[in-house]
Amino acid sequence: MAKQQKTTKGPASEQSYRDAWKWDKVTWGCHAVDCYPGGCPWRVYSRDGKIVREEQAAIFGTIEPGVPDMNPMGCQKGASWSQQHYNEERVLYPMKRAGKRGEGKWQRVSWETACNDIADAILDAVKDQGPQSLYHIGTPGEGGTQQILWSNFSAQLGFQVTDLQAEINDFSPGIYTTFGKFDPAPGADDFFHSELVLIWHANPVYTNITWYHFMQEARYNGGEVVTIAPDFSPSAVHADYHIPIEIGTDAAFANAMSQVVIEEGIFDRDFIKKQTDLPLLVRSDNRHFLRAADVDGSGADDQFYWLDAKTKKIVPAPKGTLSPGDVDPVLDGTAHVTLADGKVVEVRPVFCLLRDMLNAQYTPEKVQATCGVHPKTTRMLARKIAARKTRIMMGWNSGKYYHGDLMERAMMLILGLTGNWGKHGTGARSWAVGLNDGMFSVLLKSQSGPEMTLATRGMRNAMIESMMEADPTMTDEIALYTFERQMINMMGIMTPPAFFWYHHCGYREVWNRPGYNDPEMKRTFDEYFQEACDKGWWSGIAETAKQSEPRFLIEVGGNLLRRQRGGARQLLEHLWPKLKMIVSVDWRINTTGLYADYILPAAQHYEKMNQPYSSPMHLHVLLIEKAAEPPGEARSEWQIIQGIAKALQKRSKERGIEPWARKNGEPVQLANLWEWITKNGDLAEDEKLIDEVFRDSAILGTIPEETTLESMRKNGAVRAVGWGGSAMMVCQQSPIEPNKTHTPWRNHVEGLKPYPTLTRRAQFFIDHEWYLEAGEELPVHKDNPHHGGEFPLRLTSGHPRWSIHSMNHTSRIILGTHRGHPVMYMNPDDMAVRGLADDDEARVFNDLAEMRIHVRHSPGTQPGQVVIYNGYEPFQFKDWTGPENVEPGMVKWLHFAGGYGHLQYRGLHWQPIPIDRAVHLDVAKA
Amino acid sequence: MGRQIAMVFDLNKCIGCQTCSVACKVLWTNQDGRRDMWWCSVNTQPGRGTPRDYEKMGGGYDAGGSLILGDLPHPDDFGGASQFNWQAVHTSGNGGGHTHLQPTDRQPTWAMNWDEDQGAGEYPNAYYFYMPRICNFCSKPSCVDACPNGALYKHEEFGVSLRDDSKCQGAQQCARACPYKKIYFDAVSKTSRHCIGCFPRLEHGVAPACVRQCPGRAVFVGYRDDSASPIHRLVEEYKVALPLHPEWNTEPNVFYVPPLSAFMVAPDGSIDESQRRIPLSYLESLFGPGVGTALRTLEDEMAKRKRGQPSQLIDTLIAYQWQSLLGPFDRDPSAIQW
Repeated sequence: MAKQQKTTKGPASEQSYRDAWKWDKVTWGCHAVDCYPGGCPWRVYSRDGKIVREEQAAIFGTIEPGVPDMNPMGCQKGASWSQQHYNEERVLYPMKRAGKRGEGKWQRVSWETACNDIADAILDAVKDQGPQSLYHIGTPGEGGTQQILWSNFSAQLGFQVTDLQAEINDFSPGIYTTFGKFDPAPGADDFFHSELVLIWHANPVYTNITWYHFMQEARYNGGEVVTIAPDFSPSAVHADYHIPIEIGTDAAFANAMSQVVIEEGIFDRDFIKKQTDLPLLVRSDNRHFLRAADVDGSGADDQFYWLDAKTKKIVPAPKGTLSPGDVDPVLDGTAHVTLADGKVVEVRPVFCLLRDMLNAQYTPEKVQATCGVHPKTTRMLARKIAARKTRIMMGWNSGKYYHGDLMERAMMLILGLTGNWGKHGTGARSWAVGLNDGMFSVLLKSQSGPEMTLATRGMRNAMIESMMEADPTMTDEIALYTFERQMINMMGIMTPPAFFWYHHCGYREVWNRPGYNDPEMKRTFDEYFQEACDKGWWSGIAETAKQSEPRFLIEVGGNLLRRQRGGARQLLEHLWPKLKMIVSVDWRINTTGLYADYILPAAQHYEKMNQPYSSPMHLHVLLIEKAAEPPGEARSEWQIIQGIAKALQKRSKERGIEPWARKNGEPVQLANLWEWITKNGDLAEDEKLIDEVFRDSAILGTIPEETTLESMRKNGAVRAVGWGGSAMMVCQQSPIEPNKTHTPWRNHVEGLKPYPTLTRRAQFFIDHEWYLEAGEELPVHKDNPHHGGEFPLRLTSGHPRWSIHSMNHTSRIILGTHRGHPVMYMNPDDMAVRGLADDDEARVFNDLAEMRIHVRHSPGTQPGQVVIYNGYEPFQFKDWTGPENVEPGMVKWLHFAGGYGHLQYRGLHWQPIPIDRAVHLDVAKA
Repeated sequence: MGRQIAMVFDLNKCIGCQTCSVACKVLWTNQDGRRDMWWCSVNTQPGRGTPRDYEKMGGGYDAGGSLILGDLPHPDDFGGASQFNWQAVHTSGNGGGHTHLQPTDRQPTWAMNWDEDQGAGEYPNAYYFYMPRICNFCSKPSCVDACPNGALYKHEEFGVSLRDDSKCQGAQQCARACPYKKIYFDAVSKTSRHCIGCFPRLEHGVAPACVRQCPGRAVFVGYRDDSASPIHRLVEEYKVALPLHPEWNTEPNVFYVPPLSAFMVAPDGSIDESQRRIPLSYLESLFGPGVGTALRTLEDEMAKRKRGQPSQLIDTLIAYQWQSLLGPFDRDPSAIQW
């Protein structure tokens, strides 16, 4: 027997443990990073002026009775972030490069010297090449409100602020192609309503640690979880079914399921008639939609038709509603139409073309050879999807495949055929941030206080209303996107970086390699690229990028040399020599900082007042308080911006440099820059700024009216009451209800409100000339091109468990939670033939580069596949050469298409994004 | 008699994120002498575990109740590294040599979670799951029995095994006797250390860090003798929560809901719904012969929910209210005024 209660009254050592847990200050914390959803409320515990630890606040109440609550949102990165405040990687003082770039020689300088040097470099660049030579690389990075402000500040100075969506490439081109928006973001708790969750192109066990529990709770509650992935991924651990699909064949598999539901007649006829373009008529002679321009010669090329089953007549499909009214649109049939020019053509609904294609090419038996899925499995899953409330738990993996748009379009098709969106527990899952409109209004308005906030919003609303008056079929959502598109073109708030990469970062050569592209392309990459520019599809952006060489580059909380597909291989060779100054603003020294000219020390998460990104996933807006002083001379981003603003003001005056014009022709506010950004000093202090942001958000209707900094200090978080005006929120198109989980797109499904696409419907048929030329007017499967070269293995990757981007990989605590060095997952058979044992160092190589990494023995990895989860710092690898170097960084040519309804640029949306999945390479023992 | 706390880890909810182990580390072992310690650790199973191959090291009691002193784990079996060459990477000025980040205290061949996501099986029928381990708060703690200096004792109110540091001479007999090998040696203080069940938190009605900070909502805590608690329901009534290696005879008070797993892929590539991927024999080797019944109970109760019927067991496991996981220890620590 154990010697129980031998010493019952605690010895002194008990007291030492009690003392270790004590604190003298508690503040609200969060991590202003773009993990998703982020916005986990934390409590930060400090002692003697130093942050000691944090713990989830776990303050979210039950939203919907009968649905589990969201507590205690957080993860291992968050639970150790306090320790990264004091890690050796912190940068404590402004550091100026003293040796060659990347040499590791630094000189500590004063803030004044740093700000003056940087201001001079900006002024030099403008004089040399014009303001379009100033680049702010747009990333969500680390920073929340303080970071967004910097992007706005740079935009106001006429910088090219690159579109972060293309930089981080968390875009879903196929969801966008289908719906005219890509960002349906259901509440995490809404997963509890799912009867079938398909984890497909996502790894939520790694990336959604904070709310994975809802999927398991739904499974306990009678739902099923199916993981569709080449590897037995960590997210297959808690799945009922793991479907081991061949890499990159998801469109074929999805189409086979669509074939099954159509053939078996288990599709949702009413849903597809109302919600999709499947009843719209297509001309058999040219495979274009039948348009009013054809029928009556009116010239309207956005009026489409369907065939009424009752009257057998061709009827214009209404644009202002999804309701068919008295019409019963035919899905299956043929008609002949006499066109305005007298020609008689055959027309058929998209549904017929789709069904014919599926029957011809995508029966479960036919696709088995392609995707390796047994026909029984395909039918079993198709029937389940048709019978159940189904959600695809997808991430941003599919969009990073060359033909990821096709995969996503096919995935949306099986959801559409089965009526699976716009209802609780259904739909596709993406991401969206917003709910904090003050984040944007506070810098754009001309003075502090509520009046200018309301006036600015009023002007915007008036413009949207006038658009809707001019076209009564236009919804408020479509009008907003149109307005945003115009604003971005006019103001240059952000710019798609594809043209910058093409002209200045050496990608032209890579993108033109025939073997790296779709072999079915009819013309060279450059011919398409040139056509897109000539046709003005990118409204001058292409020309601006070409006109001047980059001279100045700043990154705030980002890490370009880690993130860029192509990495140092492309950037150090092609871009770096053109740049006169590179500035990294961060709390730590990352790889980009190591190659920069200046590193400016930013305050860490708990060392400044801030707001994290907010999202529909939990619908809360949060506060981050300052728990302790930053070490060394680190400062908040807002204070650093002000330092640079003052220096620009001073140096331009001293040097006699006149204000230059921004894209819209307005001169930049050079002479009174500091006064302008701080609203005459009213918002100079961080607390004043954040208070104003909360007040503005309350005025603009995203959070309750009475919200102020004081109320946030008390409660830490507040649930949103409205979507506000940002596009990613407006796109949710559902009511926010106080006691219901959030499901996007209920307005479309319940309210029959049109979608923001060319056809105003979920659009599976794209009759853009390039799509027809490519044979991609419908969601087809195409094999992944051999980008990287002719090598037998394919590198897939994914967001890591251990880090948000590269921010936590180098935390001493996080390094202790695994091997502490980068690894590559590899099937034991592939290892054996190469003589590799677990943890051996391997040489990974293809046409472009080679790098070294340790291998991990992984029975769950598909033979022929290797997996390197991303986010490792290049400086964790020998010669600072990470996997980004073997990634070609291709873009799909079709994504330069424009001039077609929703297929045109708007910020954060339609544009070319880099591809990094299924890169061809080989591995050998090092 | 004092009271005994108990915990249940639901392995169907554990996602191997290590938030529990990181929360524990930041609170208790993030200091010199303790940096290589992970009082709470999570491992991929099947696997060699923490410390490496601990299941082969011995300890506990034999069938006759005699104490077994097993092997003492070597520091390299715990492994890991905690010091890195930051200076060389960041500011070496070494002429572009580009020194990469490496440990300076040890070149590890093992670490707490070294065989992460490896598991077993052959593609496509690979399988694994995650298992957190802390002190088992044993009713028959072999560590307490084994200490030659009488330094270890069971805490009256919570039944956690604690060590009087002033009496500990660093003999490490406790580490030899603990069959779970959850006892570490602090080379700075020359004393042994292990999970203390966060007793200072329990004293204030706050759940242990590994429980309260688990984002997977996978851990229950409460008193073993509370017949109204979720723990009682899971362990005693439904018998779906089982101790790890009961054959080591220390009577652990930490229990595990065993993992269900994906169905097998048949040789023809179709899915065989009659077989799950994790072999029952493997789960029995961990949790004893009751695991098959436990899994059937889980499946039966989940099937009830699929048919729309109520299930008390499933409602317990879902834990609609997060606080229900915390039992009587549901106080918000930020409310404490020192």
